[in-house]
Amino acid sequence: MTRQLDPVTFEVLKNAFANLVDQMAEQILRTCYSFVIYSRDFSNALCDAQGNTVMQGTQDIAVHVGTLHLTAKAVLETFGDDINPGDVFIVNDPYTGGTHFCDTRIVRPVFYDGEMIAMMLSNGHWADVGGTVPGSFDVNAKNHYGEGMRITPVKIWDRGKYRFDVANMMVANMRIPEERLGDLRAQNEATRVGETQLLRLVEKYGKDTVLQAFNECQDYVERVAKAKISELPQGTWETVDYIDQDPEVGDGLIPIKVKMTIEGDKINYDLTGSHSYIGCFLNSGGGASLSAIVAGTKTFFPDIPLNAGFYRVVNAVLPEDSVVNAPWPVAVTGFCSGAYEKIMNAIFELWSHVIPERALACSFNLEYLLIGGWDKRQDSENFFMWYDWMAGGHGGRSSKDGSNCTAPLFGVGLSVQPCEGQERLSPVLTTSHCIATDSGGPGKYRGGCGVEKGGTVLDSAGTVMSYCCDRGRSITWGIFGGLPSIPHSVRLNPGTDKERNLGTIFSNVPINVGDSFTRPSAGGGGLGDPIERDPKAVLEDVIDGYVSVERARKDYGVIISVIDEDLCHYVVDEEETDKKRKYIRTNRKVWLAEEPAFVREKYLDGEIDQLDLIRRYGVILDWHNNELLPETTREFRAMLQKRSAAYWA
Amino acid sequence: MSSFNKHEQFNANGLTKIMGGKKLSKYRVAVDVGGTFTDVFIFNEENGDIKVTKTPSTPSNPGQGILNGLDKAEVPLSEVTLFSHGTTVGTNALITRRLPPTALVTTEGFRDVIEIRRSTKPDLWDAYKDVAPPYIRRRDRLEVKERVDYDGNIVTPLDEEEARQLGAVLKKRGMEAVAICFMNSYANPEHELRMKEILQEELPDAFICTSAEVLPEIFEHERFSTTVVNAVLGPVAGKYLKKLTGHLREKGYQGEVLVLHCGGGVMTAETVSQCAARIASSGIAAGAISTSYIAKLCGYQNAMGLDMGGTSTDISLMYEGNIRITKDWAIEYGYPIMFPSIEILTIGAGGGSEAWIDEGKSLRNGPQSAGADPGPVCYNKGGTMPTNTDANLVLGRLNTKILGGAISLDKESAEKVIAEKIAQPFNFSTVEAANAIIKVANANMCDALKLISVRRGYDPREFALVAFGGAGSLHAAHLAQEMEIPVVIVPPFPGITSAMGCLLVDVRHDLSKTYLADVNKVKVEDLEREYEDLEAQAQKLLEEENTPTERMQLLRFLEMRYVGQWRSLSVPVSRPINSLEEAIETFHNEHQREYAFANRDQAVQIYGLHVAAIGTVPKPNLKKYPKEGSAKEGFIGTRQVYFEEAGGFVAAKIYDRAKIPAGATFEGPAIVEQLDSTVVVPPGVSVEVDEYLNIIMRIGKRG
Repeated sequence: MTRQLDPVTFEVLKNAFANLVDQMAEQILRTCYSFVIYSRDFSNALCDAQGNTVMQGTQDIAVHVGTLHLTAKAVLETFGDDINPGDVFIVNDPYTGGTHFCDTRIVRPVFYDGEMIAMMLSNGHWADVGGTVPGSFDVNAKNHYGEGMRITPVKIWDRGKYRFDVANMMVANMRIPEERLGDLRAQNEATRVGETQLLRLVEKYGKDTVLQAFNECQDYVERVAKAKISELPQGTWETVDYIDQDPEVGDGLIPIKVKMTIEGDKINYDLTGSHSYIGCFLNSGGGASLSAIVAGTKTFFPDIPLNAGFYRVVNAVLPEDSVVNAPWPVAVTGFCSGAYEKIMNAIFELWSHVIPERALACSFNLEYLLIGGWDKRQDSENFFMWYDWMAGGHGGRSSKDGSNCTAPLFGVGLSVQPCEGQERLSPVLTTSHCIATDSGGPGKYRGGCGVEKGGTVLDSAGTVMSYCCDRGRSITWGIFGGLPSIPHSVRLNPGTDKERNLGTIFSNVPINVGDSFTRPSAGGGGLGDPIERDPKAVLEDVIDGYVSVERARKDYGVIISVIDEDLCHYVVDEEETDKKRKYIRTNRKVWLAEEPAFVREKYLDGEIDQLDLIRRYGVILDWHNNELLPETTREFRAMLQKRSAAYWA
Repeated sequence: MSSFNKHEQFNANGLTKIMGGKKLSKYRVAVDVGGTFTDVFIFNEENGDIKVTKTPSTPSNPGQGILNGLDKAEVPLSEVTLFSHGTTVGTNALITRRLPPTALVTTEGFRDVIEIRRSTKPDLWDAYKDVAPPYIRRRDRLEVKERVDYDGNIVTPLDEEEARQLGAVLKKRGMEAVAICFMNSYANPEHELRMKEILQEELPDAFICTSAEVLPEIFEHERFSTTVVNAVLGPVAGKYLKKLTGHLREKGYQGEVLVLHCGGGVMTAETVSQCAARIASSGIAAGAISTSYIAKLCGYQNAMGLDMGGTSTDISLMYEGNIRITKDWAIEYGYPIMFPSIEILTIGAGGGSEAWIDEGKSLRNGPQSAGADPGPVCYNKGGTMPTNTDANLVLGRLNTKILGGAISLDKESAEKVIAEKIAQPFNFSTVEAANAIIKVANANMCDALKLISVRRGYDPREFALVAFGGAGSLHAAHLAQEMEIPVVIVPPFPGITSAMGCLLVDVRHDLSKTYLADVNKVKVEDLEREYEDLEAQAQKLLEEENTPTERMQLLRFLEMRYVGQWRSLSVPVSRPINSLEEAIETFHNEHQREYAFANRDQAVQIYGLHVAAIGTVPKPNLKKYPKEGSAKEGFIGTRQVYFEEAGGFVAAKIYDRAKIPAGATFEGPAIVEQLDSTVVVPPGVSVEVDEYLNIIMRIGKRG
């Protein structure tokens, strides 16, 4: 396609497309009913008549990137010629390029003079789409039948007529149906806002010019991306990241392999060698994996607008029937916590070698805890859903520490909910929401800090808890010599004799009134050798409580004495620090090779603690019963050798 | 700087009884302290003379710049009745983190609420761009045992012993300010107040504020954040105003020292530290206020303000006579200040914005700016990238001599840089390239105007555009054509329009609280009582400021939403409340306008109450001039100016604004030149100078 538009018309229309998609976002934000959508788990796109993305919202969530056009194409494929003015479609099908059932998409074809010229898409995460678990996250699901309502492309407006019968049938299968209809309306209005704006542009500039601009916007992005890629070193880079386990199997990490080749002005990703799909819902469908690849790559090209032009320079090979390309009807609802962020982090690591000044160690894994039941507080008889996700730490960087308490990679625009709002809506009292000391992976540049959030369940009945998370074993890792952060898991009734470690994935665990719980979000992995971190930076971290005096000594070899806590007066003992650092340097490779069973004994004896196990010895236990996981430990140690030890002087 | 000649004088209507002043006094002074310049606007009530001065700002000691400006204007301060100003003191203190030692005292377990925030970043894709750190470091955030639940019940009593120990620590650390922020304190402030008492005993000189006093609203981060900003700025604002007031008193000023706040009102020095967070962006509201005033003067109730300077453009909107207000603002992303604020949209487009070609061969404009130093290439001060100013010069829209001849612009160097950087890569002529630069800049500004208008459900065809700042009137007519805005107003002194805004406002306080109730279940008497409580507090503030009762005005607003929805809308309610029906009807209508739908069958919920307390301040009455003049009086020649719509360079009439009288009419293509600005009148646009000497451009339909 050659350029025909003059530079001014092109720039004006390109910005106008971005503007109209952002107007759609504003509309949703102000009228939606699902708190998940309100927290910004949504996105919008303008696609051309072939379903190719022309523009996606500037504040859209990463996980929807690279998938919306697949939904548009699914509608085109399903309905062919039977798409008419006034039609509006609804789809949530992850098996035709969607992400998971909760991500419900409204698709509105736009007509001008009887010709379909574009499609407006609005995707929102509905708080519930039915299934056996409140919030539609059944971590034990093996297939999709119990997960929630699967909506293949359906006309919800037919030539302008609202199909109330179809809508009612759908929401009748969901919890709190009237709110779902509210979301449906909000998203539908958003697509209408987009349509109105687009038709204004057509009136003003003419149909041919606007359609030409659709093409040129995609060409433009392709051109910018290719220009940037051509300047990069050519070559092939490989790495592997892991999901914790297949719960059906137990011990053993689940590898996701990523091989990247930069050749000419294109990037190829080959995920061949990744594990076959597993017996829980952490698998990812092909569309979602493509999204992870696009979003991961895009992070190294922050200035390039997002549209189908970008997809043209990125090629992906996703092996069939694998954990990154699970077939129907394998459960994929937890893909974000599972394969998705592993692919993203693996890609970050690869790019850290290509563009070291933009390097990024592993960031914490998305986690969400659901408590559902009947609210029995005064005057209340409602079903409640306390559906909570946390901020966490991002990976250390080549020139500075990772960012503290930031939204997960799958959508850094996703906001955490206010505890005061949650307490009003649900009988759960939050007991803490604070930074987790020592959660940042040690490194010359420390990983950002994670968060600890705990609570107590108040007057309620039939209450159950479910958790969707990962990286309890494949712990958030460092690069270029940096160390891992902390393992994820939920602890029930911590500090009491009823304490139980529930792990990272579980469903429908019964909860009694008065039970307390807590869980951390991991920090980011460290970047660079922690022994090389400036002791002054460690001192500042200790003063602010990001790092404890003890871990300053163990992880960084920095000896700090407390002079006056009230006045925040701490000092570094330089002589002792030199000694300690030498000692660590001399011994750390030996520690990493120590017999795991022997290390475990030291842990059980209280001689070393959990962070010593992980950061110093690379030993992983089943945190529920403290049994050694030999295969997992072997793989984890190999990972530490490659990402950390190999860089130690 | 000189006073303006006879044509440009304003007149007062013989106002003598002025707030806080003596009868002999006759001047009103407004000052806008900006980042680069301090603008002083002096209005003589007796003869209507206006004086303006511009002096460099003095960020290290902001009061000094004001005094310099006043000295330069030679105004006897003993004869000043009213001193009102906008200041960047708060903004600068926050951005540079030059803040007094301040502690946060909070509920055990919640020390990091202000660091976790809502966890989002503004720049989603750039992993190296971070949100700024919190205003209080973690080491100075301390916890105490206490807990209140969502309904205000005490779950854990305040541990008073721990509270005292904590007070001793803060004393040891020499804290000058403390923000006390407890969970759910909006529902029951008891613990916060007790904590305050204890700390006051330990730290009698510290500025201590509680979150429930500052903003009794739900959502911890937003309330804590507002309280923290208030705490850190309390001493900053207090010291600054004390010093400034002292200097002004020394020079004989006896009235109140008024400070503009973000809500579009002023406060006195007495109340400013209580609501210090409101002066976090003191000056920025002034332009919006002037926009509103000027538009109303010209008979328009709907207007957008376009204040375009060297590096950025501020856009505001007034609808049906009310300036658009938002509660969603911050000085730095992530740290919301929840007091109502005039909504200003700032974009990186100004006279100094640079044109460039990106990797995809697309022509871009801004946000990088050559600023004042080195400035545009045509300043010959070392600029290397073509700017909007360079393009306007090449197109003949700007004269080669500006600021009354004080600065000469080098057209040749502008042509050279545009030819080299833009024209050659695109195979354009230099003039085509200059025109393309301006069109892209205009498109960016149109996008911003659309964000604040079309996106919110306002139709630009029903608005007037008020253009000011140094560069606003160079672009305004073309923006209006593009947006189908029918009228453009250019006030007499575009460069000092913002400063004038400080004289056009009333004392204003806004008080609000969260109040959740179903409209069908709420008792009007209960609501009335809640409003009366808020009003009593508001009245107290006005009394502290010596506002006479007859000048007090109280307004009520109700925030509502559909049950299940997350955002609320604020609508006015009567005082006293007779029934809620009218408010509910307004809510449905506003929802329809803003979000394109309303659902009268759906339950509506009350979300919060808001009272605005206003102490009216007399405004200058501007003199009307008889519309008897002719444009001929201001005609000074013709120049070749490029207009694409006319097919290229055409002879445009050039006018000297200082000499165009009221009643003059003329047609574009024309250029109006004045000391601090240039007005571009494209072909097909007709101009009338109104009785206040505003230039009114009527924009014909395009094409």
